[in-house]
Amino acid sequence: MKKFKRVLGIVLTIALSATMAVGCGKDKASNSDGVTTKDEVKNTTTKADGPIKTFTAFIAAPGIEISEDNRMMNRIAEKIGAKADVKYLTGQTAAERIGVMIAGGEYPDFIDGSDGTSQLVEAGALIPLEDHLDNYPNLKNFYSEEEWNRLRKADGHIYYIPQFGNIQGKNVQTDHNDEAFWIQKRVLKWAGFPTIKTVDEYFDLIERYIAANPTSEDGQKNIGFEILSDDWRYFCLENPPMFLAGYPNDGAAIVDPVTLKATVYDRIPEAKIYYEKVNDLYNKGIVDPETFTLSYDQYMAKISAGRVVGMVDQYWNFRDADTALKSQNLDDRTYVPLALVLKEGTEPKYFGPPAFNTGGGMGISVSCKDVEGALKFLNDLLDPEVMTMRYWGDKDVDYFVDDNGVFYRNDEQRENFRNQDYLNKNDCPYDWFPHYDGMSADGINSIKTKEQPGEFYATLRDIDREVLDAYGHERWTDFLPQMKENSPWYPLWSARNTWTADTPYGIAWKKMDDVKHEWLPKVVMASKADFEKTWDQYMKTYESEIDYKAYEEELTAEVARRVALAKGK
Amino acid sequence: MDAIDITRKNIKRTGQLTNKGNIWERMLNQKELILMSIPFVAYALVFYYLPLAGWVMAFQNFKPAKGLLDQKWVGFKHFIFLFSDKTFLTVIRNTLAMSIINLALGFAFSIGFALLLNEVRQLKIKKLIQTVSYLPHFLSWIIVTGIVLDALSTETGIINQLLMYFNIIQSPINFLADPKYFWGIVGFSNVWKGTGWGSIIYLAAITAISPDLYEAASIDGANRLQKIWHITLPGIKPTIFILLIINMGNVLNAGFEVQYLLGNGLVQRVSQTIDIFVLKYGIGLTNYSLATAAGIFRSVISIILIVIANYAAKAAGEERLF
Repeated sequence: MKKFKRVLGIVLTIALSATMAVGCGKDKASNSDGVTTKDEVKNTTTKADGPIKTFTAFIAAPGIEISEDNRMMNRIAEKIGAKADVKYLTGQTAAERIGVMIAGGEYPDFIDGSDGTSQLVEAGALIPLEDHLDNYPNLKNFYSEEEWNRLRKADGHIYYIPQFGNIQGKNVQTDHNDEAFWIQKRVLKWAGFPTIKTVDEYFDLIERYIAANPTSEDGQKNIGFEILSDDWRYFCLENPPMFLAGYPNDGAAIVDPVTLKATVYDRIPEAKIYYEKVNDLYNKGIVDPETFTLSYDQYMAKISAGRVVGMVDQYWNFRDADTALKSQNLDDRTYVPLALVLKEGTEPKYFGPPAFNTGGGMGISVSCKDVEGALKFLNDLLDPEVMTMRYWGDKDVDYFVDDNGVFYRNDEQRENFRNQDYLNKNDCPYDWFPHYDGMSADGINSIKTKEQPGEFYATLRDIDREVLDAYGHERWTDFLPQMKENSPWYPLWSARNTWTADTPYGIAWKKMDDVKHEWLPKVVMASKADFEKTWDQYMKTYESEIDYKAYEEELTAEVARRVALAKGK
Repeated sequence: MDAIDITRKNIKRTGQLTNKGNIWERMLNQKELILMSIPFVAYALVFYYLPLAGWVMAFQNFKPAKGLLDQKWVGFKHFIFLFSDKTFLTVIRNTLAMSIINLALGFAFSIGFALLLNEVRQLKIKKLIQTVSYLPHFLSWIIVTGIVLDALSTETGIINQLLMYFNIIQSPINFLADPKYFWGIVGFSNVWKGTGWGSIIYLAAITAISPDLYEAASIDGANRLQKIWHITLPGIKPTIFILLIINMGNVLNAGFEVQYLLGNGLVQRVSQTIDIFVLKYGIGLTNYSLATAAGIFRSVISIILIVIANYAAKAAGEERLF
């Protein structure tokens, strides 16, 4: 018995220390997510007119953290007396991460909840901004009075500031940032720069390329088509039917512009046609056989290696891989966006004017101890000089100014700004904080270096110029027909962010996620003979497990609400 | 007065007082002991029992902006939803299956490893193996699953390459796409990560076995295997039973990260656990009440399992927890 007690003692000691270790681990984990509880405002360095404040920020979207000794971050901090330690989403979905944060009740100073924004508002996690705005002219002038009013929630408060798509002067966007079918530049060159308009032409090109080039010159096996389906990023798999049928990226459903009725795009004929084509491609071995089990990191690794010939994706989702390709000088493996449809004649709607997205933006949390300081930080970031520092860097270090006041870089600087390591140490655009796009306040230069006409052309590689010249385009966005304007309900997907599990449509949405996550890969992976059967099973499961009628009804009602709002009711 | 005296006195007095049944007098007599235990009782109250008040959330339609008592009460609505939901029943099955696999594999490998390690005569080698074997425990799941995903890859994965090299299979198997492999993959990931660490407790228990027993057995002509079977294993039996009972309480905690990180759409029917369900339907849809209801369900089942295991151990005449 005595011996047993001794053993029990050891067991309990180990159990206890293990619990303590777990406890410590948790603390660290939550800190690394940008949630700091004590000393929100840390005094790090002192300079003539006071200490430099450090704010914490969390962005519920993927991104790359810059290093602490980042040169421009510290230069901006010296100028405006504050900096932000920005953390990004990893692993979970935005709504899940924000849900966990709300459950914990502690937030970083600045927070952009992305898909979880409405949860933050509902939980009272963001402070109302409208009373403060008058004291901060740059911030106040960032939007018009009417736009600020559109940001007001039902309770009359403004909780966040949308940071993207605020064009100053004129839109000079050179890169497509959203969803498209992408194809490597080397493939277009190989095929003699054909015009690709339909999925058939696109898949046929990939098939011919892979048949002729099973491996690339560096000995790696080429992958014809990749379909990312990792967790929330499975839009690459599930939403092409929407685009192919000629609808813009409303995400949740397609909306008939005449009847204003929202319909799920999983059951439309285009869906079956598209997945049958993908199924065919899969059975020919052109689609990566392990595509449906890839994690996001594995997917990015394959793109970064330059092996993936084509895929459907949002540019922002694979931007880091694109940067990696550029810094390895594999420019012929970077991508051109294509606005594909099923049949010629359908008008593709992949690229539109920036939408004034009232669904999300940068907010200041209730955990922020120095609200005025935080607002001053946002205000100072919009200062024309600071805007230049954010996007161009330091004069004479990162860029030069010619006699006419036009900014330019020399070759060495351009090389540096292609290098991810260099960017991490030197470049600090604070992309997720409010900023202008288009032209600088001076009216001469673009806000973003890559949109400066001289710089855009100068930073192009031979292959880039070759591709653009062959098609007679000036910018990458010219590859996609541009929509004139967005519908008043665009983007409809933001409506789902307010849905909860106690509604039939909220549950229907999650069930839809489950069913599509499982069945779309099954449909694609089925043998050719089994395609029909599998598709029927999928549809049967879809209809029996998902209350999609409730889902459509709620979205239709939301469209009506948004149309009424736009008409000023 | 020294501690032993107090204890003796108390024992004596306790004996007398039990008969009289005057609890206050008894407490007064043991006031030193009571004072000493106050911090621990307070700790348990504050950190284990007080948070249980949050369970009322399961019977409300909880909205974080309002106080705990300003919420709308909905009775058993969330529980009814849970048990009428097909997905929830599937995730319970998955959780149980993966737990039991983990439990069985975890015990078998940890005990087996401890027994083997105990037989290593070179002390330095033994220490080295022990240290190396529990290093994976300190890796986070995100790293371990990264290694597993790469090892199982159809293109570059070492498992497929080895199987092909030895001509066991003709073309690579996409292990992660087939539901039938998933539980096994999770089980062996756990084994890889946990065996070394899990064996520490058994090694400690083995050192407590008197060397005399081994000596006596040697004199009687027992070989190594017989010594393991008749001395080492019975010697650590109490430890095994206690750990088994403790682990029974964790049967509904099959884990979260490993399934979340290894799972994908094709295998979600077997990969989703209760935790993933809670994250998706509870927290992801801001329905903290549903998450709480699922949590309560799990706690209640865990307590029942522990009690059953404990009574089973008692009935079998083995060591038990309470």
